[in-house]
Amino acid sequence: MDALSAAFVLVADPYVLWVVLASSLFGMFVGAMPGLTATMATALLVPVTFFMPPVPALAAIVSATTMAIFAGDIPAAMLRMPGTPASAAYTDESYAMARKGQLDLNLGTNLVFSVVGGLFGVAVLIVAAPLLAEIALNFSSYEYFWLAALGLSCAVLIATLDPLKGFVSLLLGLAIGTIGIDPAAGFPRFTFGTVELMQGISFIPAMIGLFAISEILRSSVAMEGGFEAVEGKVGSIFKGIGAVARRYWFNVLRGSVIGTVIGALPGAGADIAAWISYAVSKRFSKEPEKFGTGHLEGIVDATSANNSALGGAWIPALVFGIPGDSITAIVIGVLYMKNMNPGPMVFIQNPQFIYAVFLIFILANLLMLPLGWAAIKSAKVILRTPRNVLVPLILIFCVVGSYAMTNSIYGVVVMLAMGIAGWLLEENGFPVAPIILGLVLGEMFEQNFMTSMIKSDGSFLAFFERPIAGVLGGLTVAVWGLFAYKAVRGLSGLRAATA
Amino acid sequence: MTQFTRRGLIASIAAASAAGTLSRESFAQAAYPSRPLTLVVPWGAGGGTDATARIVGALLEKDFGQPVNVVNRTGGSGVVGHSAIATAAPDGYTIGMVTVEITMMHHQGLTELKPTSYAPLALMNEDPPGVQVKGDSPYKTVKDLADAIKAAPAGKFKASGTGQGGIWHLALIGWLQAMGLKPDHVAWVPSNGAAPAMQDLAAGGIDIVTCSVPEGRAMIDAGRAKSLAIMAAERNPMFKDVPTLNEALGINYSVGAWRGIAGPKGLPADVQARLVAGLKKAYESKEFTDFMTNRGFGIKWADPQAFAAFMEDGDQKMGAAMKAAGLAKA
Amino acid sequence: MRANDAVVGVLLIVIAAAMVAYTATFPAFPGQRYGPALFPRLLGAGIILCGAALVVRGLAARRMGEAWIAAGDWTREPGKPLTFALVLACLVGYILVSESLGFIVTAAAILAVLFWRFQVRPLLVLPLAVASSLVVHWFFASLMRVPLPRGILDSIL
Repeated sequence: MDALSAAFVLVADPYVLWVVLASSLFGMFVGAMPGLTATMATALLVPVTFFMPPVPALAAIVSATTMAIFAGDIPAAMLRMPGTPASAAYTDESYAMARKGQLDLNLGTNLVFSVVGGLFGVAVLIVAAPLLAEIALNFSSYEYFWLAALGLSCAVLIATLDPLKGFVSLLLGLAIGTIGIDPAAGFPRFTFGTVELMQGISFIPAMIGLFAISEILRSSVAMEGGFEAVEGKVGSIFKGIGAVARRYWFNVLRGSVIGTVIGALPGAGADIAAWISYAVSKRFSKEPEKFGTGHLEGIVDATSANNSALGGAWIPALVFGIPGDSITAIVIGVLYMKNMNPGPMVFIQNPQFIYAVFLIFILANLLMLPLGWAAIKSAKVILRTPRNVLVPLILIFCVVGSYAMTNSIYGVVVMLAMGIAGWLLEENGFPVAPIILGLVLGEMFEQNFMTSMIKSDGSFLAFFERPIAGVLGGLTVAVWGLFAYKAVRGLSGLRAATA
Repeated sequence: MTQFTRRGLIASIAAASAAGTLSRESFAQAAYPSRPLTLVVPWGAGGGTDATARIVGALLEKDFGQPVNVVNRTGGSGVVGHSAIATAAPDGYTIGMVTVEITMMHHQGLTELKPTSYAPLALMNEDPPGVQVKGDSPYKTVKDLADAIKAAPAGKFKASGTGQGGIWHLALIGWLQAMGLKPDHVAWVPSNGAAPAMQDLAAGGIDIVTCSVPEGRAMIDAGRAKSLAIMAAERNPMFKDVPTLNEALGINYSVGAWRGIAGPKGLPADVQARLVAGLKKAYESKEFTDFMTNRGFGIKWADPQAFAAFMEDGDQKMGAAMKAAGLAKA
Repeated sequence: MRANDAVVGVLLIVIAAAMVAYTATFPAFPGQRYGPALFPRLLGAGIILCGAALVVRGLAARRMGEAWIAAGDWTREPGKPLTFALVLACLVGYILVSESLGFIVTAAAILAVLFWRFQVRPLLVLPLAVASSLVVHWFFASLMRVPLPRGILDSIL
């Protein structure tokens, strides 16, 4: 328990608390602004966290994302525009409630059950991560190979609406990841003799390009000043929440569980969690006909789910170095920069940092209650921020952030190239999140394959010999079997439809 | 921001006259260094090289009275950062930490850069490799392990610690050759640095890790790995119980990963003299010695001439070893 | 800009084929059956298969009357294509001149151009651009020690 008390000391540092507060306000703002996502908030925070010690750096990311996911609900209800994609699943429902005059009840519900869902996700993280880390200490390259394979498979299977295009994105991400020195033989691939390309496609500038620059390109041609909020004053938002909790307690639990599990699955984050739990809620509701008319039930499920997904996503990120969503993909980059290489070793080497992250998660979720209340109260002012000033400033932040990652103009070049590519891909219905997963997991996948082959003297059987590796391998094969089954069925369905 | 306080002005005049370059031109520029310096590190933030560079940077900053920004230029197995140092303007405002890889990369055909591409300033550190095995390994001494390796067929034992052709790979090759074995008698499993290799060792994926002892410290302290020997002339004061190869096997083989400071070729003589003086002062400071010994890092000094000779010697040894192992580009 | 899936598919196949062809120059891994070329080749094969599937899908959509390439609605609105090009030009410009002009000058110029284009009140454009670039430089270069290029302001910083 020494580590726990050390963690308390780390978190109680006034500097850390100041960082938590400042990044919470930042996260609230970014989340509430339509077009600025929680992932983007994290990407913009990275250059700032670069020179911080590990604990405040992680605190900044945890607090900002926690707030951003909730804050996305505010413009969803007021403007029918989700602040972040995580609120998209129930934006229409929320807006319908607001128009029925139930804006207060809607925002109160969103706030309170975001806090509850968030705390649930953290609780699972606190219990599961150290247990999994103990098991993961015995993982060799075989197990890591299968984990990477499983992560890549999940990304295609559940994380995208169009599996074919999702798969293309993933393959493109993996292909981009092969640029640079190869992880086994040390040979420079696809560098065309340039020194800069030997470092590979730097991950965070690529991320800033894919998520932020492509968004700036889109909004540069959709610039309409500020936003006009719905009529109606915000009153006392906590009225009637007790009744909601009594009526829908099971929905809160179910949403939180689904959210945590989906968050923990690689490649799928808060937005998918919200969509799935909303669909589940409707499927099992006693009154599904009310969904879509401003009914609270589905919102309770989904708003719990998207916040619990945040904590869930940290489980594979911390224990295996496999991101649960695009936010933790960035977190892994930050951990590497702080020499806290994610993996079971970090639980032995720096347990106090891990506990500090847990404490900050709890703190941020509790802080969300007063800050969320304040954000709701001042929402109309926040939403009046002129976008024509904001967008150019974000562009400059992106440039500085990318530059700071490589300490050279190379980062900005990568950012621009990936920004244009991301914009083009999204225009054509290719999701960009799998690209990031491919970039993060590609090296892990290839390196562990190559080292396993060297260790086993070229025998494929060795991949199934160790017990855990065998189970993970079987699971991966099963996932692909399911995928093939679905694809075949989908294809015959398509034929029937076109015939 | 340059501040023209009276004391600053007097100090710069004094420094300029001391360097013997007082003239109208240098009066306008003040004495070197008159603005912030950049110290390029070819490896990632948080690692051993980064930590060493940051303490050197902090001590130089104190001596020079100018900020010294440590800038990580990572990737490409060190090529990117080493290239940034060599191609910087030779004005003394960009220097960098060069590492043992500069004597190895050009043999592999990764770059044209070699030790002579730099103006060497000072050698600061050298760490010898160790021989680490799993915590519950049957081999209690390095002699047990050596005997088992000799008795086993080629390729049976697997070792790791860094990438293919990296410094710890060459350490293994050198050790095997010193025992009269072939360079590939123990198979090398490339890894992404010492930490993942130590984890794979603890997980039972590989048999030996030949990284330096301080790099394996976390696993050793946790009891999941143990160090059987170090390939050095003397024991490390932080790890007194670990014998040298010479003591245990009578093999006199030592090779190490070193770190030094260098600038781009063509540094003006007065700038170089000022930098070497600052580095010497940093090296001799108590802060530096305490910092390095606490982490178990070895300290080793060489002035520019000796450092150049040291690199040249290492370059030839590495070239020969890599050629023998088939790692060098023909 | 939205292209028919068949167009995208053909493009992907061409890129992947070039990638696979290039791996022929990669050396073998000494003593191993698989070398650095294996993984890019597998990926290339995967992309080619997916590209083929996209071509099939795109041709089906084409028969239903989809255009080969359709530009977004905004391209027909006056001024919008220019705005879009201006944002890209600002980024390319930063890459080209920031090293010689320095961060503060380049960033202020970019901000001024974009503020002007996005119709910020004319009197505010310059003060806002200069003040923001100074603040960003102060925060990142002085506090965070990011080595932002100093350029022509080198002597007075």
